[in-house]
Amino acid sequence: MPREPINFTIRNDLADLPTVSEMLDRVAQGAGMPTRALMQLQVALDEILSNAIKYAWPDGGSHYLRISFDVHDDAMDIAIVDDGRPFDPRAQAPSDPAAPGSRPRPGGLGIHLVRQLVDGFSYTRVDNCNRVTLTKRYTSGLSEQER
Amino acid sequence: MAGSALTITESRRGNVCIVALEGRVDSSNAGDLSTSIERLISSGEKSILVDLGAVLYLTSAAFRALLVATDEAERNAARFALCSLAGHVRELFDVSGMLELFTVLPSREEALARLG
Repeated sequence: MPREPINFTIRNDLADLPTVSEMLDRVAQGAGMPTRALMQLQVALDEILSNAIKYAWPDGGSHYLRISFDVHDDAMDIAIVDDGRPFDPRAQAPSDPAAPGSRPRPGGLGIHLVRQLVDGFSYTRVDNCNRVTLTKRYTSGLSEQER
Repeated sequence: MAGSALTITESRRGNVCIVALEGRVDSSNAGDLSTSIERLISSGEKSILVDLGAVLYLTSAAFRALLVATDEAERNAARFALCSLAGHVRELFDVSGMLELFTVLPSREEALARLG
């Protein structure tokens, strides 16, 4: 059954992220999303939001990100919109060469995780804003053992 | 899943300092994890075990914090290991390709036997 998307706004501050995770928990549980799918979506969403907060506004300052959760019967779409500089997270190059004598740093690990953990990951630049969409498919109402 | 913010509990068994994590380890709190472990290393601890048995999930910020801690431990000749990776958490280590970068031991008891 189609439901109304849930829209809200956070500041470009990592301290606002727990509010988002808690809201996603509530919405996902209401939608009957299995725990594994929810955890994977939580990781992907944290990667996208923390990326945007770190890179979208090089000059700093106080800004807002708009988030929407759109629940369908067998999937959830999450859109993240910011008015920062054009930034396609999918194009983020692996970086962070290892310092001499230390382990290789997992450059681009966050984006690698996003690609592995969600079923859809898209980017568009619309109205001078970055818009990233994540889609997670799931089968709702699995028993606890199947999760 | 209310109240699932990260809780970090430090305890000691013999020579081993155990850092037990509970909840989510994400970009909002991975810095707290780094701070805890760095403090232990700089205070001279030589055996540190991070127990992930009660972790819901970890993001790349958490993996980076653990990698930095691993390097820091090596530089200070301290042993640093992870234990009790289960379910979704083990799967995230696997998907991220991080499993082989850490010393991962199955349970707290086995880890204590190895590190103690």
